[in-house]
Amino acid sequence: MTKLTIVELKLLTREPGAMFSLLIPLFILVVFGSSIEPGDTVLLPMALAIAVGLVGLYLLPTTMATYRERGILRRLSTTPVRPGNLLVVQLLLQLVLALIACALLLVFAGTVLGAHLPTRVLPGALTFLLGTAAMFAVGLLIAALAPNGRAANGIGVLLYFPMAYLAGLMQPTDQMPDIVARIGEYTPLGAFRQSLRDVWAGGAPSPLLLGVMAVYAVVISIAAAKFFRWE
Amino acid sequence: MAVIEVTDLRKRYADLTVLDGVSFSAEEGEIFGILGPNGTGKTTTVECVEGLRRPDGGSIKVLGLDPVKDRRKVREQIGVQLQHTQLPENIKVWEALDLYASFYAKPRDWRDLLEEWGLADKRNARFGKLSGGQKQRLFIALALVGNPRVAFLDELTTGLDPQARRTTWELIKRVRASGVTVVLVSHFMDEVEELCDRVAVFDRGKVVAIDTPAGLVDGIDAEHQMRFTLMAGDMVELGGLPGVTGVTRTGNRVVVTGRGDFATAVTAQLARHHVLVSDLRIDKRTLDDAFVALTGRSLDPTH
Repeated sequence: MTKLTIVELKLLTREPGAMFSLLIPLFILVVFGSSIEPGDTVLLPMALAIAVGLVGLYLLPTTMATYRERGILRRLSTTPVRPGNLLVVQLLLQLVLALIACALLLVFAGTVLGAHLPTRVLPGALTFLLGTAAMFAVGLLIAALAPNGRAANGIGVLLYFPMAYLAGLMQPTDQMPDIVARIGEYTPLGAFRQSLRDVWAGGAPSPLLLGVMAVYAVVISIAAAKFFRWE
Repeated sequence: MAVIEVTDLRKRYADLTVLDGVSFSAEEGEIFGILGPNGTGKTTTVECVEGLRRPDGGSIKVLGLDPVKDRRKVREQIGVQLQHTQLPENIKVWEALDLYASFYAKPRDWRDLLEEWGLADKRNARFGKLSGGQKQRLFIALALVGNPRVAFLDELTTGLDPQARRTTWELIKRVRASGVTVVLVSHFMDEVEELCDRVAVFDRGKVVAIDTPAGLVDGIDAEHQMRFTLMAGDMVELGGLPGVTGVTRTGNRVVVTGRGDFATAVTAQLARHHVLVSDLRIDKRTLDDAFVALTGRSLDPTH
């Protein structure tokens, strides 16, 4: 298990997609960061949601579907090790990657940009956990349904843009049609961004939105597990 | 001792019967061939033996164990090379071997395998950068890294050039020499003829024959031909010789058709009467002929 984790970690660092997931949100933060006012509570939650969305919708399903497509899971099931171990290791590493991406954003925004950071850790951590779980669940469902790695990649990208738009990651929600913004708030990524913003604004995230993310995480994960094929 | 015993194996997918009562056994230390065209249940059979699929009926014993119930014990002692599997593009050769070695309780030293399989200078190369032959050698090395008693190799030379195939064959013989029982799934006649001690011929979900490759060829009773050109001496009567079914002569060119070992009788007769011939050709009966005789169709789809 240790060796499997080490090798998978090495593979992840060799994956250009992993670099992109770290750098794209950082890039967005740098580009727009110069124009924010001190105490801004909008940009950083957006960048965090983008980071988690990229890992969950793009990197996670592509990696997992590729492993199935290449028969790596099947090959593993001929050894004494169960192929489920590989999936668990991958999930944990992707989670670590999302954490690193967010940590990078927080550190950069906190030091270089002087952006506002929330003081209460617990609501932030809970929001991160539920939001990441919801996005990873969507990623797992893509991995379960996509016939191969390229398809998973395509579906991930195709889903990412409408989800990012609805979540208010393309433009601020107050510039969006009211009804779209309202709907967007109840999408996994939208609930995540809104909850982060609530945390940033110093309040507690709405229990309704936390609940929405939890339901997404559970229901979509169950669907993913139901549709998942080892080969 | 039988290392693998398969009895009356059955498997259906919806309306399609894939395995219709397959039985065979493989002995310790032999290369056991599973031969047949694509879609005759070869791979399904092997996957049931490996424990990757559950059969609908019949029994399987691998090293005396049930591959489904004694999953872990069986997998400790078998090594598998699957058709159509890849590794991650970016994994290095040594990392793959080191990783797979870590899955087994008593693995072989993967550094020895690197040497044996001619991959030592590719140790730090990434999987995606390897040639077809190198990838195939790595897959075989991975199948052996757990120090298995039985190795399953499925279509191992598909896509290799003739030179690489020959090299792979030599290496497989060395695997047998080291005492590992090899189960070789193939649809290549030459490969099976070259490597296998015994072969199970599959057709439409059944085993239609089990024998040595030579035994399979000898067992067929199909007509074949010999040809020669008369050089000197008068043609003698050949039609009455045992096995001969027909003689045609066009100028100096003679074609004799017959069954069994009629060619020996013909050459003896020619020698006795001091008939000199040249360009003597006897159609070699191949495993493919044996296959046609057994199943009524050719294994090679281009025929």
